[in-house]
Amino acid sequence: MLLQLLINLIAALVWMLLHDTWDGLNFLIGYMIGFGIIFMMRRFFPQPFYGRKAWKIIKLVIVFIIELYKSGIFVLRETLQPKLRIQPGIMKVKTQLIGDWELTTISCLLTLTPGSVVLEIDREEGILYFHALDVGEQKEYVLSTLSALEKAIMEVR
Amino acid sequence: MFHNLLYMAMFLLSVSTLVALYRLIKGATASDRILALDAMSYNIIGIVTILSIALNTQNYLDVILLIGILAFLGTVALCKYVERGVVIEHERDN
Amino acid sequence: MNMNVITEWIVLLFILSGTALSLFSSIGLLRLPDVYTRSHASTKTTTIGLISILAGGFAFFLFEDGVISVRLILAIIFVFLTAPVAGHLTARSAHRAGVQLADISVKDELREDLEKHRKEMGGKEAAESKETQS
Repeated sequence: MLLQLLINLIAALVWMLLHDTWDGLNFLIGYMIGFGIIFMMRRFFPQPFYGRKAWKIIKLVIVFIIELYKSGIFVLRETLQPKLRIQPGIMKVKTQLIGDWELTTISCLLTLTPGSVVLEIDREEGILYFHALDVGEQKEYVLSTLSALEKAIMEVR
Repeated sequence: MFHNLLYMAMFLLSVSTLVALYRLIKGATASDRILALDAMSYNIIGIVTILSIALNTQNYLDVILLIGILAFLGTVALCKYVERGVVIEHERDN
Repeated sequence: MNMNVITEWIVLLFILSGTALSLFSSIGLLRLPDVYTRSHASTKTTTIGLISILAGGFAFFLFEDGVISVRLILAIIFVFLTAPVAGHLTARSAHRAGVQLADISVKDELREDLEKHRKEMGGKEAAESKETQS
């Protein structure tokens, strides 16, 4: 995975060296050509092709941006009500993610989404304690965000 | 037109900085004040960005990184102080 | 000329949406009742607004001067990485320092669990400290 990325970067650099023009567009073209070459030679690498993983990471980013906009609109709508009707509280949820990397990712993304702040993590059990803006009637809203992000992260693994 | 809208955006950002300043002075607890300081520094970063667009210069972009790093370090240090009463711990238990 | 106008409108779209987000978040900072709910309004909405403004600046320098501004990319990555950490740290330190939730809050499962854990550990720790003292 890392080796393929390095080879791709070197291919882009060689392309720029051969053209003797050092700008972003040439780097992009060289990167594309290197990507194609690595895709054609993917059977000769011991690890699986890294484009598949990169595509899943891009999908995670897209899911995250969609959730960001949905919950941002939700928080704005609740904040701008003439009379506050939210019921904030701290709730705990058990995730299926394991390992430091996945827990860090889910808590960073969940903290960046409006409507939830991760307070504490139980690392052994995989329990997240987070403060949500509304745990009363619209509790499912936060949980749907969590499960969408969780599914996207589990794809990357 | 372009520049007038840019100055209007700067004005709105400074209004939100003033609101954060109100929270910084009034704040019920110390954590409120830390939050307000964080929000203020982010708004100032936005103002500097819009200023560098309006003046069409790239020399102010260093200021963005500098304020960002200082704000983050200040937030971390103040949070540790609120949590335990010390900034630099000698014994790390968790 | 036409190209220039399009560039200006794209930059303005980014910047004005970011400004509006910052303004709404400051309204939230003013109105919401306690630290935790305020951290929802301030940290994250401000962060998204700031990233939008920085992206507007990046687009301006890209189209106007033809320069890829590395400093703005660094600033976007830095803000994106540090903002959730700062928000999490503020809320956690407030909870550990014992800041109460507002009256409209419904439940606090973390405090319940902490108290349960402390009650289980209480007997054991007291015995250990007695041993070390003696």
